[in-house]
Amino acid sequence: MREVFIGRENLLKLIGRWAKDHRVYVPAKFDIMNHEETPDYEQVGDEVPENMTLEGAALATNPKSFIFYPREVVAKYPSGESDADVEAPETVIVGPRSCDLRGLRKFDKVYWSTEHFTEEYDDPFIVEKRKNLFIVSVDCSFAKETCFCTKVGGQPWPTEGFDLNVSPIDGGYILTVGSEKGEKLMSGNDDLVTDALPEHLEARDKRRRSVTEAIDRQNAEFFDEIESSYDKLDLEGTKEAWAYATQNCVACSACNRCCPTCTCFLLVDQQSDGAYERTRNWDTCLSIGYARTGGGGNARPELPQRLEHRLRCKFEYTRDRYGLVTCTGCGRCIDVCMGRIDMREAMRHVLTTEKAEA
Amino acid sequence: MKNLYRPIESVIEDIKKETPNITTYRFRPKEPVTFEAGQFVELTVPGVGEAPFTPSSNPNVKDTLEITIMRVGMVTEALEQMKVGDTVGIRGPYGNGYNMKDFEGKEILIVGGGVGLAPLRSLILALFDDIDKYKKVSIRYGARTPDDIVYRDLLPVWEKKKNTEVLLTIDEPHPEWSGKVGVVTVLLDDLPLLTTVDVDKLPFTAENAVACACGPPIMLKFVNMVLLEKGFDPSNIYLSMERNMSCGLGKCGHCMLGEYFVCMDGPVMTAKQIEKFEDPF
Ligand SMILES: Cc1cc2nc3c(=O)[nH]c(=O)nc-3n(C[C@H](O)[C@H](O)[C@H](O)COP(=O)(O)OP(=O)(O)OC[C@H]3O[C@@H](n4cnc5c(N)ncnc54)[C@H](O)[C@@H]3O)c2cc1C
Ligand code: SF4
Ligand code: SF4
Ligand code: FES
Repeated sequence: MREVFIGRENLLKLIGRWAKDHRVYVPAKFDIMNHEETPDYEQVGDEVPENMTLEGAALATNPKSFIFYPREVVAKYPSGESDADVEAPETVIVGPRSCDLRGLRKFDKVYWSTEHFTEEYDDPFIVEKRKNLFIVSVDCSFAKETCFCTKVGGQPWPTEGFDLNVSPIDGGYILTVGSEKGEKLMSGNDDLVTDALPEHLEARDKRRRSVTEAIDRQNAEFFDEIESSYDKLDLEGTKEAWAYATQNCVACSACNRCCPTCTCFLLVDQQSDGAYERTRNWDTCLSIGYARTGGGGNARPELPQRLEHRLRCKFEYTRDRYGLVTCTGCGRCIDVCMGRIDMREAMRHVLTTEKAEA
Repeated sequence: MKNLYRPIESVIEDIKKETPNITTYRFRPKEPVTFEAGQFVELTVPGVGEAPFTPSSNPNVKDTLEITIMRVGMVTEALEQMKVGDTVGIRGPYGNGYNMKDFEGKEILIVGGGVGLAPLRSLILALFDDIDKYKKVSIRYGARTPDDIVYRDLLPVWEKKKNTEVLLTIDEPHPEWSGKVGVVTVLLDDLPLLTTVDVDKLPFTAENAVACACGPPIMLKFVNMVLLEKGFDPSNIYLSMERNMSCGLGKCGHCMLGEYFVCMDGPVMTAKQIEKFEDPF
């Protein structure tokens, strides 16, 4: 993969050039009531926002929101077109982290023809947007307390799935071109970059190592007792263990919504001006209606069953179906939980309780 | 790209009341919707919503399809308000049908409960079209009361078909009922234990029998248990699994059963496929 060096001023220029003919989003820092929030995406207007930051870990929003909207009209009837009408402007997102790219892989598996189904099952609303999405990922320069990517098969820098990757180092950045689309973003911009020197690459690798070590360190207490490797977990656990792990859950479903690999939705129909509209809305497996069937049945009426389903879906079901463990270790579900449920703790509890009984 | 979520306009051509809360509708879609026995469609009541249903008509009839529907909630209640000539939406078919090639030369046991006979009707009608290919078709059906029996006018016709028998039961005694009483599993009492069967005399033999069951989850659970006890091979027991479904396309996640999507890998699944789940029903 082609690697070049770019200074901060030139990177801002490069992003500005993209913004001339693309929608561009960059990570920005926000203070709310003097409290520094997790950086989040901000759209680039005439100028690249001053509060842009490429430091830190995963942003508050995960990139699924760029291809899978919380609510979107997917059909108009009775007499709609047989082809989907999709608005999918070319969009550059600067900021996804390694874990986010793993998240997008789940979307590709579910919505875009892969080995698991044929082309006629492609979801036009997601595929069209995905095709026009340019991914400029960023190495993590430090870890949040809740990051645990290294414990679920990841690492805090992207190795695949990006068009361009940015590695912050002292005095500038290394850009790695990862795809044809990445080449397109770089073409005509050679004036802004110089060769990446060995000392640049060394500085990058040193940073990567130190972030990796930090993540391993902060997760030892959760994972040291778990004997199985992350891709061989069996979280069936006991009913009591799941009930204990779920005791502070209020079924708000925030964990589902912020998760880069929660792909579920519900179709909802409504009337508008004499015609009918079908919308697709994010749906959440923590909510009681999710598995309800006609006439009052429910596959998972109890909350502990639903949290169990969520975690087993991440670690077992998608592994068995798609060959992909779909918890990326991004930690967002831990960050947002008002019941302070930490899934690492929940898993440790379920796995160690089971062992004690066996 | 093709829009997977668009319902195809379909006109209601006929409405027939089966029981106080079950109705059979015949629909004529404006674009062809052909299906195999066991596959399902998503039916849209305009502006209200969609729900999954397995057609109950003969899959060899191509330009219309019938669905037998029990009123239980929002969509099914709204459907009941509709009239002949009104328009609904249909998309599909989805999921796997019965593998009818596998049924050839075999004895086929069909067990239905309540409105669960509806999806099986499409299988039954497809079997009748080629009845000589099958050794025997035994239909066993249970309803709550005599008034809840669906296809009342068809059952006597079916009984007269070649190689076919029809056995009925109702859940509790009723003054107008002289037949069998008890939940549908009582109709399985006569089945011999397949492992000890005298191959020449008795109707069902382990290697040569398949069973197809559809009905409420609790019924499926018990029918499955009895059939396994009787020695049926788990890969020859076909169960219609009910799950919440929204997309029918293996995407929305609602129908997940472990790593399976019931809408793609089912809705008919074998007892073998689900044996690893503690309580899949
Ligand atoms: C493959 C398959 C084949 C089927 N075939 C047949 C058939 O041939 N005949 C038949 O009669 N039935 C059949 N069914 C069952 C049928 O799909 C249901 O009876 C139907 O979905 C009921 O729809 P409803 O809107 O009337 O019911 P409702 O009880 O109103 O609910 C329908 C759906 O909406 C959801 N819902 C309702 N209320 C809420 C709420 N408050 N919050 C969140 N969600 C809610 C439920 O989760 C449920 O899935 C089949 C089901 C499947 C899966
Ligand atoms: S975010 Fe926490 S409280 Fe909300 S549903 Fe998820 S686990 Fe439960
Ligand atoms: S389950 Fe939690 S930690 Fe894992 S990918 Fe989803 S939000 Fe991130
Ligand atoms: S119904 Fe949507 S995944 Fe099966």
